[in-house]
Amino acid sequence: MDRQTFIVLHVVAILVVIGNIITGFRIAIISQDWLTPISVLLPQGEMHIWHLGFAVGITLLIIYYVCYSIRSPLRSYPSTYHKLINYLGYIALLSATLSGWCIWANIYSQIFRPIHQIAMWLMIAYFVLHAWMYILQKGRTVLSVLLPKRLNLRHCSGIVCLVAVGYFIHTLTLNASHQLNVLTIEDSVLIDIDGKANEPQWQQAPTFTVTTIGGANFTDGATQVSIKALANQYESYFLISWLDESKSTNHLPLLKTDNGWQVQENGFYRFDERTFYEDKFAVMLSSGCEIAGDKTFHSGDKPIKNKPKNWHGKGYHASLDGHVRDLWHWKAVRTNDMYLADDNFIGPPSEHLKGKRRYSAGYQADGKESGAYVMNWQWYSAKGISPKRLPNTPQSHLEVLPWFGSKPYQETQDTYPVGTFLPSVLYRSNRFEGDRADVRARGEWSNGRWTLELVRKHNTHSQYDIPLQTGTCMWVSAFDHAQIAHTRHIKAIKLRYSL
Amino acid sequence: MIRRLILSAIIVTLFIGICLLPQAQPKLSQHKRFTKVTYDGVHLSPWQGPWACVLDKQNQLLWEVKTDNESIHDGYWTYSWFDGVQGKRNFGDCYYEPDRCDTSDLIRRTNEQTLCDQSNWRLPTATELSSLIQNPTSPAQPHIANDFFIHIKQGDYWTSEHNQPLPKQYRQKGVGATAINFHFGKRYTLPYRNAAFVMLVADLPAANTSPQISRRTTITQHKQE
Repeated sequence: MDRQTFIVLHVVAILVVIGNIITGFRIAIISQDWLTPISVLLPQGEMHIWHLGFAVGITLLIIYYVCYSIRSPLRSYPSTYHKLINYLGYIALLSATLSGWCIWANIYSQIFRPIHQIAMWLMIAYFVLHAWMYILQKGRTVLSVLLPKRLNLRHCSGIVCLVAVGYFIHTLTLNASHQLNVLTIEDSVLIDIDGKANEPQWQQAPTFTVTTIGGANFTDGATQVSIKALANQYESYFLISWLDESKSTNHLPLLKTDNGWQVQENGFYRFDERTFYEDKFAVMLSSGCEIAGDKTFHSGDKPIKNKPKNWHGKGYHASLDGHVRDLWHWKAVRTNDMYLADDNFIGPPSEHLKGKRRYSAGYQADGKESGAYVMNWQWYSAKGISPKRLPNTPQSHLEVLPWFGSKPYQETQDTYPVGTFLPSVLYRSNRFEGDRADVRARGEWSNGRWTLELVRKHNTHSQYDIPLQTGTCMWVSAFDHAQIAHTRHIKAIKLRYSL
Repeated sequence: MIRRLILSAIIVTLFIGICLLPQAQPKLSQHKRFTKVTYDGVHLSPWQGPWACVLDKQNQLLWEVKTDNESIHDGYWTYSWFDGVQGKRNFGDCYYEPDRCDTSDLIRRTNEQTLCDQSNWRLPTATELSSLIQNPTSPAQPHIANDFFIHIKQGDYWTSEHNQPLPKQYRQKGVGATAINFHFGKRYTLPYRNAAFVMLVADLPAANTSPQISRRTTITQHKQE
């Protein structure tokens, strides 16, 4: 390898590695709060797509460099120090690249995720020890060594080839997906949506298992999710099961203190509660299959132009291409006793309402005709609240307070002793009706595992729902008593029906 | 070498300094048209609550805010249209009257209560009420600014406009009153006996026509929140 070719590859490698590091940091901030101070230095937006692009770039460079070096190695004579540091760089680069691809492919993601991060820190250490040392030793003359003196046609065509091949591979990897085969059942077969999964058809259905990572409160932030699917002529059934050591239904309880009623929380003010919250599970459906939720996740504290900042700095869900993605949001307290999952969607970013502290961009609920759960406070404040309703008869702490088993709050009737808990969730009526009630669901927790059954018509004809058919892509996320800090996986799961 | 070391230290310090700067939180901004007002008439910032009325700077009006506390302002109560002379008495549903409810019941009770320090509550005109129509930000919401006007149902709301000829399907009932439907954001003429929702309005006294909250007050209130 001649010196000029090496310099060209070196410059491209520097750019690609820096791109990988800054996009990787932005992704890491989603689940690692301690990195938040560097947020101000990082880009925002669809970082998974950029990160994958840079990953393709560095992979191609490694392959090209290794192949070229085997055929015609570069003759250079660095000092022992730089030789050792270079070995550190090789190890870091290889580890980061291989572990990254394993996470993408869902191969032992929970093991490779920490390895990926350690490799990234080694890469940063390499940058400092290699580049900074050269800068300290040589000063401005580093630039004359670093930058190519001339670019000939061979270098230019090489770069163009790398970009073209990279673009092709990026498109392939961006749209690659897993597959979930849906077992056909007779229309006469009754599947009871009870979270028990005791119908024999579930035993016959193929299981797809995906490791989801990056969530709060799960062991190492990860949980394995197994998915089965059945379909008759009209409806699709899903059986989803995931590990969760604790059943969490203590949803923002109200505690009577010396200073009045207080919402028990640890982050709810920033809309990122991670202690006093119910378990949840989300299924996203899309007719597109691009990685990381089909371009619907925009990371950063202000990732969408002309839209407000978010309170937690993690990001927003929104569709910027105008297409709607379906989102089923099962909630262990708020919807489980309705035997429903909250039928939501991710659409274009909504208009910002000045009277609301929370802006949720494209994450919206489908329309409903009636039915609701409401929070049991007149107005939320971190300093204290007044409950909306009190139980008709004093009782033990329930998960949900029924509307018709309670009466409007009156200070004169608030004789509860300090230390009393009240539920924060009120069922205004039994369940949603209308578009928002399209997904029937029931979850049961047993022996450290949630089992959730869901069913929906293949096609609801709602503009906020995605039809369930061959080619529809799916993502799943588990929440362990966390409001937004959910687990995730990269590649979509594509449904395949044999109907 | 020493110069380069010092320069490096300065660059690193600069980066650390930038990272340690306090990061800005989402900003509170005032609504151009609406201000929240408490039951006692105190003005709130847009992120504060609870509030009982909304000051409408565009129309110089105060709007009643509906509740879900089973008080006379509960958003679920419905009323037949009746002004004491014309209309249909007691054909709506509420819990707070011995008989059923009509619009004059809510007006009387709200004026007795001097909600938000006002005792001139009335039904809005069709023009006043339809000025609140705006596209919802979510399919689950009615055609109104639901960050200020809470507990508004996707149904009909009475206006004071009456003696209106009814459409074909109600023609045998003679005349009726105009209602604004916040599900579709449209106006309809309905028979007086229909049970519809009500959102009252009060004209502001001349002294209160420009009740601008001072910047200092808003910031203090925000901090208190």
